[in-house]
Amino acid sequence: MNKDFKQTSRSGSLAWLLQRISAVILFVLLVLHFVTYHFLAQGRAVSYRWVIERAGSWWFPLLQFAFLLAALYHGLNGVWSVLEDYTSNRYWRLVWYSLVVMVGVVLLFVGTLTIVKLYTLKAA
Amino acid sequence: MAQIDIQAKILRYQPEKDEKPHWQTFAIQVADDSTILDVLNEIHWRHDGTLAYRRSCRSSICGSCAMKVNGRNVLACETPVHRFGTKLKVEPLSGFQIIKDLVVDLEPFFAKLKRIKPYLIVDKPLPDKEFVQSPAQLEQIGESTLCILCAACSAACPSSWPNQEYLGPAALLKAYRFVFDSRDDGADQRLEIVNDKNGVWRCHTIFNCMEACPKKIKITEYLSRLKLKVVENSL
Repeated sequence: MNKDFKQTSRSGSLAWLLQRISAVILFVLLVLHFVTYHFLAQGRAVSYRWVIERAGSWWFPLLQFAFLLAALYHGLNGVWSVLEDYTSNRYWRLVWYSLVVMVGVVLLFVGTLTIVKLYTLKAA
Repeated sequence: MAQIDIQAKILRYQPEKDEKPHWQTFAIQVADDSTILDVLNEIHWRHDGTLAYRRSCRSSICGSCAMKVNGRNVLACETPVHRFGTKLKVEPLSGFQIIKDLVVDLEPFFAKLKRIKPYLIVDKPLPDKEFVQSPAQLEQIGESTLCILCAACSAACPSSWPNQEYLGPAALLKAYRFVFDSRDDGADQRLEIVNDKNGVWRCHTIFNCMEACPKKIKITEYLSRLKLKVVENSL
Protein backbone atom coordinates (compact mmCIF):
# COMPACT_ATOMS: atom_id res chain seq x y z
CA MET A 1 0.00 0.00 0.00
CA ASN A 2 1.32 3.44 -0.90
CA LYS A 3 1.54 5.49 2.26
CA ASP A 4 1.85 8.90 0.74
CA PHE A 5 0.17 11.09 -1.83
CA LYS A 6 1.96 10.67 -5.12
CA GLN A 7 1.81 13.77 -7.28
CA THR A 8 1.16 13.01 -10.95
CA SER A 9 2.32 15.06 -13.91
CA ARG A 10 -1.29 15.54 -14.98
CA SER A 11 -3.76 18.05 -13.69
CA GLY A 12 -7.46 17.38 -14.14
CA SER A 13 -8.52 21.01 -14.13
CA LEU A 14 -9.18 21.30 -17.88
CA ALA A 15 -11.25 18.10 -17.99
CA TRP A 16 -13.24 19.33 -14.97
CA LEU A 17 -13.87 22.74 -16.56
CA LEU A 18 -14.84 21.23 -19.94
CA GLN A 19 -17.19 18.78 -18.18
CA ARG A 20 -19.03 21.74 -16.63
CA ILE A 21 -19.05 23.74 -19.87
CA SER A 22 -20.34 20.74 -21.86
CA ALA A 23 -23.06 20.24 -19.20
CA VAL A 24 -24.26 23.83 -19.67
CA ILE A 25 -24.14 23.45 -23.47
CA LEU A 26 -26.11 20.19 -23.21
CA PHE A 27 -28.75 21.87 -21.07
CA VAL A 28 -29.18 24.74 -23.56
CA LEU A 29 -29.25 22.33 -26.50
CA LEU A 30 -31.78 20.12 -24.73
CA VAL A 31 -34.11 23.12 -24.33
CA LEU A 32 -33.62 23.96 -28.02
CA HIS A 33 -34.27 20.31 -28.88
CA PHE A 34 -37.56 20.35 -27.00
CA VAL A 35 -38.58 23.62 -28.62
CA THR A 36 -37.72 22.54 -32.16
CA TYR A 37 -39.05 18.99 -31.86
CA HIS A 38 -42.18 19.47 -29.80
CA PHE A 39 -43.29 23.09 -29.80
CA LEU A 40 -42.61 24.23 -33.37
CA ALA A 41 -45.09 21.59 -34.52
CA GLN A 42 -47.79 22.92 -32.25
CA GLY A 43 -51.15 23.28 -33.89
CA ARG A 44 -50.45 20.98 -36.81
CA ALA A 45 -49.98 17.27 -37.41
CA VAL A 46 -46.36 16.12 -37.53
CA SER A 47 -45.97 14.68 -41.01
CA TYR A 48 -43.02 13.04 -42.73
CA ARG A 49 -42.75 16.00 -45.09
CA TRP A 50 -42.63 18.47 -42.22
CA VAL A 51 -39.91 16.47 -40.40
CA ILE A 52 -37.77 16.18 -43.54
CA GLU A 53 -38.19 19.89 -44.36
CA ARG A 54 -37.07 20.78 -40.85
CA ALA A 55 -34.11 18.38 -41.10
CA GLY A 56 -33.13 20.11 -44.34
CA SER A 57 -32.99 23.60 -42.85
CA TRP A 58 -29.58 25.17 -42.22
CA TRP A 59 -29.81 25.21 -38.40
CA PHE A 60 -30.85 21.57 -37.97
CA PRO A 61 -27.51 19.84 -38.72
CA LEU A 62 -25.62 22.51 -36.74
CA LEU A 63 -27.81 21.96 -33.69
CA GLN A 64 -27.58 18.17 -33.97
CA PHE A 65 -23.81 18.20 -34.48
CA ALA A 66 -23.28 20.47 -31.46
CA PHE A 67 -25.51 18.12 -29.48
CA LEU A 68 -23.51 15.11 -30.67
CA LEU A 69 -20.15 16.68 -29.75
CA ALA A 70 -21.27 17.91 -26.32
CA ALA A 71 -22.98 14.62 -25.41
CA LEU A 72 -20.03 12.52 -26.56
CA TYR A 73 -17.50 14.62 -24.65
CA HIS A 74 -19.61 14.82 -21.49
CA GLY A 75 -20.54 11.15 -21.45
CA LEU A 76 -17.16 9.69 -22.38
CA ASN A 77 -15.24 12.03 -20.07
CA GLY A 78 -17.52 10.84 -17.27
CA VAL A 79 -16.88 7.19 -18.14
CA TRP A 80 -13.13 7.83 -18.34
CA SER A 81 -13.10 9.53 -14.95
CA VAL A 82 -14.83 6.48 -13.37
CA LEU A 83 -12.43 4.08 -15.11
CA GLU A 84 -9.48 6.18 -13.93
CA ASP A 85 -10.65 5.85 -10.32
CA TYR A 86 -10.49 2.08 -10.48
CA THR A 87 -7.43 1.54 -12.69
CA SER A 88 -4.02 2.28 -11.27
CA ASN A 89 -1.99 0.11 -13.66
CA ARG A 90 -0.51 2.24 -16.48
CA TYR A 91 -0.98 -0.48 -19.09
CA TRP A 92 -4.69 -0.91 -18.29
CA ARG A 93 -5.22 2.83 -18.18
CA LEU A 94 -3.85 3.07 -21.72
CA VAL A 95 -6.07 0.17 -22.81
CA TRP A 96 -9.21 1.77 -21.28
CA TYR A 97 -8.33 5.23 -22.61
CA SER A 98 -7.80 3.86 -26.13
CA LEU A 99 -11.13 2.03 -25.90
CA VAL A 100 -12.96 5.19 -24.76
CA VAL A 101 -11.40 7.21 -27.60
CA MET A 102 -12.27 4.48 -30.11
CA VAL A 103 -15.89 4.36 -28.93
CA GLY A 104 -15.96 8.17 -29.22
CA VAL A 105 -14.62 8.11 -32.79
CA VAL A 106 -17.05 5.38 -33.88
CA LEU A 107 -20.06 7.16 -32.32
CA LEU A 108 -18.96 10.48 -33.83
CA PHE A 109 -18.76 8.83 -37.26
CA VAL A 110 -22.16 7.10 -36.94
CA GLY A 111 -23.76 10.27 -35.50
CA THR A 112 -22.33 12.51 -38.23
CA LEU A 113 -23.50 10.06 -40.88
CA THR A 114 -27.03 10.14 -39.46
CA ILE A 115 -27.11 13.94 -39.37
CA VAL A 116 -25.82 14.22 -42.94
CA LYS A 117 -28.29 11.57 -44.12
CA LEU A 118 -31.20 13.43 -42.48
CA TYR A 119 -30.03 16.75 -43.97
CA THR A 120 -29.80 15.36 -47.49
CA LEU A 121 -33.07 13.40 -47.45
CA LYS A 122 -35.63 14.73 -49.89
CA ALA A 123 -39.26 14.96 -49.00
CA ALA A 124 -41.25 12.70 -51.32
CA MET B 1 -32.04 3.87 34.77
CA ALA B 2 -33.40 1.10 32.57
CA GLN B 3 -31.10 -1.56 31.18
CA ILE B 4 -31.36 -2.88 27.63
CA ASP B 5 -30.05 -6.05 26.00
CA ILE B 6 -27.65 -5.41 23.17
CA GLN B 7 -26.31 -7.80 20.58
CA ALA B 8 -23.02 -6.34 19.39
CA LYS B 9 -21.43 -8.00 16.37
CA ILE B 10 -17.84 -6.82 16.15
CA LEU B 11 -15.29 -7.36 13.40
CA ARG B 12 -12.29 -8.85 15.21
CA TYR B 13 -8.74 -9.16 13.97
CA GLN B 14 -5.89 -10.14 16.25
CA PRO B 15 -2.79 -10.23 14.01
CA GLU B 16 -0.94 -12.63 16.33
CA LYS B 17 -3.55 -15.39 15.83
CA ASP B 18 -6.01 -14.44 13.05
CA GLU B 19 -5.29 -14.83 9.38
CA LYS B 20 -8.16 -12.57 8.39
CA PRO B 21 -10.88 -10.52 10.15
CA HIS B 22 -13.93 -12.40 11.47
CA TRP B 23 -17.16 -11.49 13.29
CA GLN B 24 -17.72 -12.09 16.98
CA THR B 25 -21.06 -11.44 18.68
CA PHE B 26 -21.38 -10.26 22.29
CA ALA B 27 -24.68 -10.30 24.19
CA ILE B 28 -24.49 -7.63 26.86
CA GLN B 29 -26.62 -5.36 29.01
CA VAL B 30 -26.10 -1.59 29.12
CA ALA B 31 -28.04 1.45 30.32
CA ASP B 32 -30.58 2.64 27.75
CA ASP B 33 -28.82 6.01 27.36
CA SER B 34 -25.45 4.40 26.56
CA THR B 35 -23.26 5.37 23.66
CA ILE B 36 -21.46 2.99 21.29
CA LEU B 37 -18.29 3.70 23.29
CA ASP B 38 -20.07 2.59 26.49
CA VAL B 39 -20.93 -0.69 24.74
CA LEU B 40 -17.29 -1.21 23.71
CA ASN B 41 -16.10 -0.32 27.22
CA GLU B 42 -18.57 -2.81 28.73
CA ILE B 43 -17.26 -5.54 26.44
CA HIS B 44 -13.62 -4.59 27.07
CA TRP B 45 -13.96 -4.28 30.86
CA ARG B 46 -16.27 -7.20 31.63
CA HIS B 47 -16.38 -9.65 28.71
CA ASP B 48 -13.22 -9.64 26.61
CA GLY B 49 -10.21 -7.57 27.62
CA THR B 50 -8.46 -8.26 24.32
CA LEU B 51 -10.87 -6.08 22.31
CA ALA B 52 -8.84 -3.20 20.85
CA TYR B 53 -10.29 0.21 19.96
CA ARG B 54 -9.19 3.84 20.20
CA ARG B 55 -10.75 6.26 22.67
CA SER B 56 -9.63 9.38 24.47
CA CYS B 57 -11.73 12.48 25.14
CA ARG B 58 -15.29 11.03 25.22
CA SER B 59 -16.44 14.50 24.12
CA SER B 60 -16.33 14.15 20.30
CA ILE B 61 -13.37 16.47 19.96
CA CYS B 62 -10.26 14.23 19.76
CA GLY B 63 -11.47 12.21 16.76
CA SER B 64 -9.98 8.95 18.06
CA CYS B 65 -13.06 6.73 18.14
CA ALA B 66 -14.32 7.00 14.54
CA MET B 67 -15.62 3.62 13.37
CA LYS B 68 -18.33 2.07 11.23
CA VAL B 69 -21.55 1.18 13.05
CA ASN B 70 -24.34 -0.50 11.08
CA GLY B 71 -22.75 0.80 7.88
CA ARG B 72 -22.37 4.42 9.03
CA ASN B 73 -19.14 6.15 10.01
CA VAL B 74 -19.65 7.66 13.45
CA LEU B 75 -17.78 8.77 16.54
CA ALA B 76 -18.44 6.02 19.08
CA CYS B 77 -18.35 8.46 22.01
CA GLU B 78 -21.15 10.73 20.79
CA THR B 79 -23.45 8.18 19.15
CA PRO B 80 -26.24 6.82 21.33
CA VAL B 81 -27.03 3.13 20.99
CA HIS B 82 -30.74 3.85 20.46
CA ARG B 83 -29.90 5.44 17.11
CA PHE B 84 -29.30 1.93 15.78
CA GLY B 85 -31.53 -0.21 18.00
CA THR B 86 -30.41 -3.27 19.94
CA LYS B 87 -28.47 -4.99 17.15
CA LEU B 88 -25.13 -3.40 16.45
CA LYS B 89 -22.60 -4.24 13.77
CA VAL B 90 -19.31 -2.53 14.57
CA GLU B 91 -16.38 -2.45 12.13
CA PRO B 92 -13.17 -0.47 11.72
CA LEU B 93 -13.11 2.41 9.19
CA SER B 94 -13.02 1.24 5.56
CA GLY B 95 -10.06 1.86 3.29
CA PHE B 96 -7.40 1.60 5.99
CA GLN B 97 -5.26 -1.34 7.01
CA ILE B 98 -6.45 -2.93 10.28
CA ILE B 99 -3.80 -3.02 13.01
CA LYS B 100 -5.99 -4.82 15.55
CA ASP B 101 -9.78 -5.18 15.88
CA LEU B 102 -11.21 -1.63 15.49
CA VAL B 103 -7.82 0.09 15.37
CA VAL B 104 -6.71 1.06 11.86
CA ASP B 105 -3.40 2.37 10.55
CA LEU B 106 -3.90 6.13 10.12
CA GLU B 107 -0.30 6.80 9.00
CA PRO B 108 -1.27 7.23 5.31
CA PHE B 109 -4.07 9.60 6.37
CA PHE B 110 -1.68 11.87 8.30
CA ALA B 111 1.02 11.60 5.60
CA LYS B 112 -1.47 13.04 3.10
CA LEU B 113 -2.43 15.76 5.55
CA LYS B 114 1.23 16.77 5.95
CA ARG B 115 1.55 16.91 2.15
CA ILE B 116 -0.72 19.96 1.91
CA LYS B 117 1.31 21.88 4.56
CA PRO B 118 -1.34 22.08 7.29
CA TYR B 119 0.04 25.15 9.01
CA LEU B 120 0.01 28.90 8.56
CA ILE B 121 2.60 30.12 6.01
CA VAL B 122 3.32 33.81 6.49
CA ASP B 123 5.61 35.77 4.14
CA LYS B 124 4.46 39.27 5.08
CA PRO B 125 5.91 41.09 8.11
CA LEU B 126 4.34 39.81 11.30
CA PRO B 127 1.96 42.21 13.04
CA ASP B 128 2.90 43.67 16.45
CA LYS B 129 0.03 41.90 18.14
CA GLU B 130 -2.41 39.41 16.65
CA PHE B 131 -3.50 39.05 13.00
CA VAL B 132 -6.69 41.01 12.49
CA GLN B 133 -9.42 39.15 10.65
CA SER B 134 -12.76 40.67 9.71
CA PRO B 135 -15.99 38.68 10.28
CA ALA B 136 -16.30 38.38 6.48
CA GLN B 137 -12.77 36.93 6.20
CA LEU B 138 -13.50 34.50 9.00
CA GLU B 139 -16.74 33.54 7.27
CA GLN B 140 -14.68 32.45 4.23
CA ILE B 141 -13.09 29.59 6.15
CA GLY B 142 -16.10 29.17 8.40
CA GLU B 143 -16.74 25.70 9.69
CA SER B 144 -13.85 24.16 7.72
CA THR B 145 -11.73 24.88 10.81
CA LEU B 146 -13.92 22.56 12.90
CA CYS B 147 -12.38 19.38 11.45
CA ILE B 148 -11.16 17.05 14.22
CA LEU B 149 -9.22 14.74 11.84
CA CYS B 150 -11.21 11.64 12.77
CA ALA B 151 -10.85 10.27 9.19
CA ALA B 152 -14.57 9.39 8.99
CA CYS B 153 -14.87 11.40 5.75
CA SER B 154 -11.87 9.84 3.99
CA ALA B 155 -13.02 6.37 5.04
CA ALA B 156 -16.48 7.07 3.57
CA CYS B 157 -15.16 8.36 0.24
CA PRO B 158 -15.63 5.85 -2.63
CA SER B 159 -12.91 7.65 -4.61
CA SER B 160 -10.45 6.90 -1.78
CA TRP B 161 -11.16 3.17 -1.54
CA PRO B 162 -9.64 2.03 -4.84
CA ASN B 163 -6.93 4.69 -4.96
CA GLN B 164 -4.66 4.95 -1.94
CA GLU B 165 -2.80 7.85 -3.54
CA TYR B 166 -5.82 10.17 -3.59
CA LEU B 167 -5.38 12.97 -1.02
CA GLY B 168 -8.90 12.43 0.29
CA PRO B 169 -11.50 14.85 1.67
CA ALA B 170 -9.85 15.57 5.03
CA ALA B 171 -6.53 16.73 3.54
CA LEU B 172 -8.32 18.69 0.81
CA LEU B 173 -10.57 20.35 3.39
CA LYS B 174 -7.46 21.36 5.33
CA ALA B 175 -6.00 22.78 2.10
CA TYR B 176 -9.20 24.81 1.65
CA ARG B 177 -8.98 26.01 5.23
CA PHE B 178 -5.54 27.57 4.63
CA VAL B 179 -5.98 28.65 0.99
CA PHE B 180 -8.98 30.79 1.99
CA ASP B 181 -7.45 32.04 5.24
CA SER B 182 -6.76 35.78 4.93
CA ARG B 183 -3.69 35.45 7.18
CA ASP B 184 -2.00 32.80 5.04
CA ASP B 185 0.42 33.40 2.13
CA GLY B 186 0.92 29.78 1.03
CA ALA B 187 -2.13 29.47 -1.25
CA ASP B 188 -0.10 29.11 -4.47
CA GLN B 189 1.97 26.24 -3.05
CA ARG B 190 -1.10 24.39 -1.82
CA LEU B 191 -3.12 25.01 -5.00
CA GLU B 192 -0.24 23.51 -7.00
CA ILE B 193 -0.29 20.40 -4.80
CA VAL B 194 -4.04 19.87 -4.96
CA ASN B 195 -4.22 20.60 -8.72
CA ASP B 196 -3.54 16.99 -9.55
CA LYS B 197 -5.33 13.85 -10.71
CA ASN B 198 -4.72 12.45 -7.23
CA GLY B 199 -5.67 15.77 -5.69
CA VAL B 200 -8.88 17.74 -5.82
CA TRP B 201 -9.89 16.36 -9.25
CA ARG B 202 -10.38 12.86 -7.85
CA CYS B 203 -13.35 14.26 -5.89
CA HIS B 204 -16.55 13.51 -7.83
CA THR B 205 -18.92 15.33 -5.44
CA ILE B 206 -20.39 12.08 -4.12
CA PHE B 207 -21.32 13.76 -0.78
CA ASN B 208 -20.43 10.67 1.34
CA CYS B 209 -17.84 12.75 3.23
CA MET B 210 -20.50 15.27 4.22
CA GLU B 211 -22.82 12.53 5.43
CA ALA B 212 -20.06 10.89 7.45
CA CYS B 213 -18.64 14.05 9.06
CA PRO B 214 -19.53 14.06 12.78
CA LYS B 215 -19.07 17.83 12.83
CA LYS B 216 -21.52 18.28 9.93
CA ILE B 217 -18.96 20.24 7.90
CA LYS B 218 -20.11 20.90 4.32
CA ILE B 219 -16.95 19.29 2.94
CA THR B 220 -18.20 18.79 -0.64
CA GLU B 221 -19.18 22.46 -0.86
CA TYR B 222 -15.74 23.57 0.34
CA LEU B 223 -14.00 21.22 -2.10
CA SER B 224 -16.10 22.66 -4.94
CA ARG B 225 -14.91 26.14 -3.97
CA LEU B 226 -11.35 24.83 -3.90
CA LYS B 227 -11.76 23.42 -7.43
CA LEU B 228 -12.99 26.80 -8.69
CA LYS B 229 -10.04 28.52 -7.01
CA VAL B 230 -7.60 26.12 -8.72
CA VAL B 231 -9.20 26.82 -12.11
CA GLU B 232 -9.20 30.59 -11.52
CA ASN B 233 -5.56 30.38 -10.51
CA SER B 234 -4.49 28.40 -13.55
CA LEU B 235 -6.38 30.48 -16.12
